[in-house]
Amino acid sequence: MKILVAIKRVVDFNVRVQVKPDGSGVATDGVKMSINPFDEIAVEEALRIKEAGKADEVIVVTIGNNSAQQQLRTALAMGADRAILIETESELQSLKAATSLLNVVEKEQPGMVIMGKQAIDGDNNQTPQMLATLWKRPQATFVSKLEINDDTLLATREVDEGLETIEVRLPAVISTDLRLNEPRFVKLPDIMKAKRKPLDIIAIDETLSGFEDKELTIQKYETPQARQKGIMVESVDELVALLKEKGLA
Amino acid sequence: MEITEIINCLKLEIANIEYTTQTDDLNTYGQDWTRFHQVDAGVIVFPKTVEQVQTIVKLANKLDFKLVPSGGRTGYSGGAVATQKEVVVSLEKMRQILDFNVDDSQVIVQAGVITEQLHRYAEEKGLFYPVDFASSGSSQIGGNIATNAGGIRVLRYGMTRDYVAGLKVVTATGEVLNLNQGLIKNATGYDLRHLMIGSEGTLGIVVEATMQLIKPAVEQSVMLLALSSLDAVMRVFSIAKQQLNLSAYEFFTDIALNHVCGHRSLDKPFDESAPCYVLCEFDEDEEAVMQVFEQGMETGDILDGVISQSLEQGQLFWQYREGISESIAHFSPYKNDIAVKVSLVPDFMNKLDALVSQHYPQFELVWFGHIGDGNLHLNIIKPDDMNIDDFKAECETVNTHVYGLIQQMGGSISAEHGVGMIKKPYLGYSRSAEELQLLKGIKKVFDPKNILNPGKLV
Repeated sequence: MKILVAIKRVVDFNVRVQVKPDGSGVATDGVKMSINPFDEIAVEEALRIKEAGKADEVIVVTIGNNSAQQQLRTALAMGADRAILIETESELQSLKAATSLLNVVEKEQPGMVIMGKQAIDGDNNQTPQMLATLWKRPQATFVSKLEINDDTLLATREVDEGLETIEVRLPAVISTDLRLNEPRFVKLPDIMKAKRKPLDIIAIDETLSGFEDKELTIQKYETPQARQKGIMVESVDELVALLKEKGLA
Repeated sequence: MEITEIINCLKLEIANIEYTTQTDDLNTYGQDWTRFHQVDAGVIVFPKTVEQVQTIVKLANKLDFKLVPSGGRTGYSGGAVATQKEVVVSLEKMRQILDFNVDDSQVIVQAGVITEQLHRYAEEKGLFYPVDFASSGSSQIGGNIATNAGGIRVLRYGMTRDYVAGLKVVTATGEVLNLNQGLIKNATGYDLRHLMIGSEGTLGIVVEATMQLIKPAVEQSVMLLALSSLDAVMRVFSIAKQQLNLSAYEFFTDIALNHVCGHRSLDKPFDESAPCYVLCEFDEDEEAVMQVFEQGMETGDILDGVISQSLEQGQLFWQYREGISESIAHFSPYKNDIAVKVSLVPDFMNKLDALVSQHYPQFELVWFGHIGDGNLHLNIIKPDDMNIDDFKAECETVNTHVYGLIQQMGGSISAEHGVGMIKKPYLGYSRSAEELQLLKGIKKVFDPKNILNPGKLV
């Protein structure tokens, strides 16, 4: 079985994100970029499945500009076998991304596509579901535990009420949740080895034939309003008085 | 003079003075992270203004009671421990950031501001306060100044001293001094600011400080290397230093790593254990890193290595190093904080290792250190079946050997923890008799009645 892992280059989780002064987007110049943390978990899971002897190849794919090669190289250093960069200079919305990925899926015919439940930049949580629909295959989303059998898998999903376990026929799309695994560290010798692994670049247009662009227009980005500073009260009486004044008690 | 009398006098001078005499509070505020002394604080007072500090000090001079200035109490030398019914002056209610000037890149803070608070403030202003250490969440700026705190990035950025542009101090006789006032250039003779920095609360109480902020560093990578021997630590350092712009080069042994991993429930970073590890932090530069790594692999010094791929992973790598002190704290370790010139480190480490393991095979030794600046922390773990007094006595004999070696090599018996009470008997190993005489003279000039932090430093 081949596993296709879709990853995205995003502003590092620990960076304090700043909106550009003209409101046209989020500042990324000189900002640390990393693999979307949920996608990193997806890479790790694919590698574990392969290491358990249940897959023969792990292919990692991303859509982005040339710099996204860096994140592909990281995934290769973690242990993926080869990488595909679908190159574009523009930001994609979910449907376009899913359509583009579908093209790669049809070419590669993987037994499983696995990716993060959402990317921490847009937090859309749409691409895996859209891809499964376009591909007309089952999906298991928000997965925190995965068990592969011959042509099915058992997926434990994190849902609002708790945990839900479903059985899904392969090929299928999996989206990962935070507790699925703890991604491994990248070893320096593996970074060297990763340089020799194949990385194919295809232009996005080649993957989007017939796609009709009906994207949303983003009008403006702005910083959320700053929260008011808390105040310290000296006594319970003062607290009660303040709550009353605000009509809360 | 009875404590109750002192409290009454304080109340007369400062009507709304905040204080506590509860046993728990006396024990909490009356000691630092050392556990070798019988804590016996008289009362803890919490002044809120410079004037209140001044009033307390003047009253101490008048009535002849002793004071122990107290910050975040994260010290390891007994410098903030009260053992003789002293009045402990806690600065923790003075934790305001008073002023910021963008042209000077300077911030004026009260002494009780927490180090981490200053880090965050600098970040909000697009600037950087580089002095950082494991206890930055509780240590206070006043205490950092009084001990000239160092920490993990001294290699690139230096010590607290390098960032103090001005100081407001209440001297031991109760005068308020405004020292250097934020000036970069000021050639007007003796710089009392620098005398106050590192004086461990024996000359004056720091109440406010003007701290210099700098531009933030470029993106940092964090790398963990598994090394084949103690000797390899310095050989890899000399390669890394040439190729990379290092901000930290930290070393720890497998024993230290095992303690951290056990204490914090972390997986070990490598499949195979190595004798020791280093953590390097540096300006991101993949090509240079690879060169260092390949060179080190060829010589057999480097066995394995991992490099952070996200900021979160970088922080996780740091946990392996910064979690060490905390992970061994419950064993009451005897801490050595020693330094020699960087060029002498390999020789020093080998001699020290031979010395300690030959004389004291029964002790578990936990080694780590900011080795890039010549600073080593040697921790001796108390065996379970040994009582604390016997252990302390044993460690004191270890000290005479270790310090003898340091003296021979022109090193320091306290690189960054300070002298306090614990290192005081050994100061002669790092300072000459003539120097000590002068130090005592300085103390006398500032504090003729020996009011401030008695029994510490000199």
